[in-house]
Amino acid sequence: MLRQVWLVPALPLAGFVVCLFAGTRLGRYAGWLASALVVASFGIGLGVFSDLVSLPDASRHVVRHLYEWIAVGGFRVAVDLRVDPLSMTMALVVTGVGAIIHVYSIGYMDGDPRYGRFFAYMNLFVFFMLTLVLAENFLLLYVGWEGVGLCSYLLIGFWHERPAAASAAKKAFVVTRIGDTFMLVGIALIFLRLGSLDFTAVLRIPCGPGQHCPPAITTDTGVSTVIALLLFAGAIGKSAQVPLHVWLPDAMEGPTPVSALIHAATMVTAGVYLVARTHVLFEVSGVALTVVLVVGLVTALYAATVALAQDDFKRVLAWSTISQLGFMFTALGLRAYWAAIFLLVTHAFYKALLFLSAGSVMHALDGETDLKKMGGLRRTMPITAVVCSIGALALAGIPPFAGFFSKDDVLAVANQSGHALAWLIALVAAFFSALYMARLVFLAFFGEERTERYAHEAPPVMTVPLGLLAVGAAFGGFLGANETRGLLQTFLAPVLGKVREPTQGLSGPALALISVGVAALAIAVGWLVYGSGRIDWVALRVRLSSLHRFLARGWYVDDAYAAVLVSPAKAGSAFLAYVVDARLVDGLVNASGQLVRWLASVGRRVQTGFVRNYALAILLGALVLLVYVGLRI
Amino acid sequence: MAADWIVFWVCAPISIGSAIAMLLQRNAVHAALFLIVNLFTVAVLYLVLGAPFLFAVQIIVYAGAIMVLFLFVIMLLGVDREERLVERLRGQRTAAILLGLGVVGEVVFAIRAGVGFSTRAPAGFGAANGGGNPQALGRLLFRAYFLPFEVTSILLMVAAVAAMVLARRRERPVASAERRAQEPIEPSEPSEPSEPREEEPVG
Amino acid sequence: MRTPIAYFLVVSAALFTIGSVGVLVRRNALVIFMSVELQLNAVNLALVAFSRMHGSLDGQVLAFFSMVVAAAEVVVGLAIIVSVYRRRRSADVDDVNLLKW
Repeated sequence: MLRQVWLVPALPLAGFVVCLFAGTRLGRYAGWLASALVVASFGIGLGVFSDLVSLPDASRHVVRHLYEWIAVGGFRVAVDLRVDPLSMTMALVVTGVGAIIHVYSIGYMDGDPRYGRFFAYMNLFVFFMLTLVLAENFLLLYVGWEGVGLCSYLLIGFWHERPAAASAAKKAFVVTRIGDTFMLVGIALIFLRLGSLDFTAVLRIPCGPGQHCPPAITTDTGVSTVIALLLFAGAIGKSAQVPLHVWLPDAMEGPTPVSALIHAATMVTAGVYLVARTHVLFEVSGVALTVVLVVGLVTALYAATVALAQDDFKRVLAWSTISQLGFMFTALGLRAYWAAIFLLVTHAFYKALLFLSAGSVMHALDGETDLKKMGGLRRTMPITAVVCSIGALALAGIPPFAGFFSKDDVLAVANQSGHALAWLIALVAAFFSALYMARLVFLAFFGEERTERYAHEAPPVMTVPLGLLAVGAAFGGFLGANETRGLLQTFLAPVLGKVREPTQGLSGPALALISVGVAALAIAVGWLVYGSGRIDWVALRVRLSSLHRFLARGWYVDDAYAAVLVSPAKAGSAFLAYVVDARLVDGLVNASGQLVRWLASVGRRVQTGFVRNYALAILLGALVLLVYVGLRI
Repeated sequence: MAADWIVFWVCAPISIGSAIAMLLQRNAVHAALFLIVNLFTVAVLYLVLGAPFLFAVQIIVYAGAIMVLFLFVIMLLGVDREERLVERLRGQRTAAILLGLGVVGEVVFAIRAGVGFSTRAPAGFGAANGGGNPQALGRLLFRAYFLPFEVTSILLMVAAVAAMVLARRRERPVASAERRAQEPIEPSEPSEPSEPREEEPVG
Repeated sequence: MRTPIAYFLVVSAALFTIGSVGVLVRRNALVIFMSVELQLNAVNLALVAFSRMHGSLDGQVLAFFSMVVAAAEVVVGLAIIVSVYRRRRSADVDDVNLLKW
């Protein structure tokens, strides 16, 4: 099956083409077709995976060459797919979670006039994401990178009649573009300084038998730092870290399955994948890793505080995603790449689960997302309430759910690598994470009903996927339960390095106890304020209104951008459009036209119609000729 | 005093004077008459220059036939009405006079540079005029210039045909309408008063 | 012959100029035509003068042909003037000014 790894991205691509051109004719079958293709892709991915593990450890990296893409002078780029533990992990997550979300969307998007188009875009997204994670060289990765950005734009703005959605899509695209541009410069620099764009060459990944491998690529700290930082800039944009995080909350305008797939499970994790993949370059330059760590920590804490003050169900989850991604980058910055990937996998499960349950609630309440207008939904939507709680507990880090193992790993690494401050900050962020999740669950599902609408449970086509994800969220942690010898860690070791035994800091169990304690405390506080009804949280909000507004508006970052960057840019554009273009350029063009007309109006007066004038002209000409001849002779 | 000197200085002023007079006449017939005078003097100048045949042909053909034709047409069309003196086109007269002076100055300059004002003509056409001027001309005409001679005869024929075609009176529609308008009107049957046409209902 | 040839050429030039001015200044079509004849005459005079200067009869032959062609031209030209006059009842060339801006 390894030889057919190209089918994994090809099937969703075929789905895209079919749904795009025959979507309206297929009707409801478009959804089933698209989902089936992603499921098939997942199946083939499993086959590839099993073939991969049948290989011995040292040779678990296969490059499947598809075709020569660019060969110009010394610049050679081929379409090659890399099959190794890291790429297969990502591919399985993408196709697995993607398949579940596709099936869910069949029910969620039912009745939408552009039903077929939606699934076309979803399949296209899966294709591009798979291209991204399976790419063997930077350029192909960049193709996937841009492609998922495109699909994100198309899907966020799927209901483009709504101005909010259209503008959110535009914002997402423009903000990620900033990061992408830096990344492209980084890729160009890689080619310029390191001579090649292939991972095998650049990343010193050991080559397979029979492949030609150039020597170790670089030990130059300066070049590595610059390249690493440029690539990380792209990751900041795509993974919504500070300061390019502003697009993700707005992206919630898109349909909920889109938020689940793209903005929780897969696209935003592309940045994490990128840094994990190129960690060699980051390690050569120490500065880059520190930058990653700082950005991750800042984002984790900042986003967690903002999530506390959000009233929109989906926005809580959006900021939560930003925060969780910050945790992943923290892990990367601490050289614990496997922990970041582990958190990525478990996060995919429980965040997708949370988003889909949000979708279930919205589906029941006719599109309502305001937490203030929910409450007591566990009585009318028991299944959703249960799975959502599972997801929330997983995120908070309560054992035995998945988040406990993965997030605990990150915190442990922070402590045991001697970065006490990082550990403390992460702990505070973890506290807030548990708190906002508790708030979410209690406000939405417990307490009195504050909604007038009649809520009902979602249809099976939506609840079954929810259940599957819940299983993953519940039990997925066991993949990497043992910090040093867990399944995932050993699987990823050939690519990401072996996990070192901790030498300093607190012991494992002690750390685990502390993290669980913090999470439990947060949940208790949440119960007290929001669930028990003993504290009037509405009045509390009014008392702390300026703080609340500060947090709710994301510490006014977005407003700052609008004032400093967006408004001057718009003013500049308006100036260029209305003054320079309309008056100057158009004026010049019109003036040339006027000039011609004026010349013509003057010139036509030669034609007087009188024969005698013409005779005069003839005589004049004859005279001139005479003079000319006379002078010559 | 050589004869040609006297004749030249008599005829040249008359020639130029009659030309200017022709220019200034308001009446077309008077202008034609002055032109005839000019043609006569030019013929005399031909004689002075030793071209007796041309002298005769000039008088017979030019002054005798062509100018008579002119006078015929002037009288026939009655266009001898006096021309208005006011010039409608601005600057035309000034430009014309300037150009004229320019042309004449140019030619004088050319003559001075080329022939020179003191060159005398050689003795005569003795060698060329073997057997008299008409005979010599005839010899040239029917030998060296035979082709132009024949072509010119065709040209004359074409001119005659063209004149006949151009000057034909054509049956003009206006004329026939005029003729019809002069016929007596026949009393015609009173026609049926037509029904007011019904408008098609819209839509 | 005592008169220099140049004198005849000057007379020819003067006649040509007067003819040109006549074409430009007069409005009656027939008078314009007569001015053209004057120009032709001036040229014939020059031709004959040159023939005398060179001592060959070619100039005279050319002048002869020029006269013949002038005759033909007069015939056709007068026919045109007559037909134009019949149409527009006017021999004023300023009246045929329709081909203008």
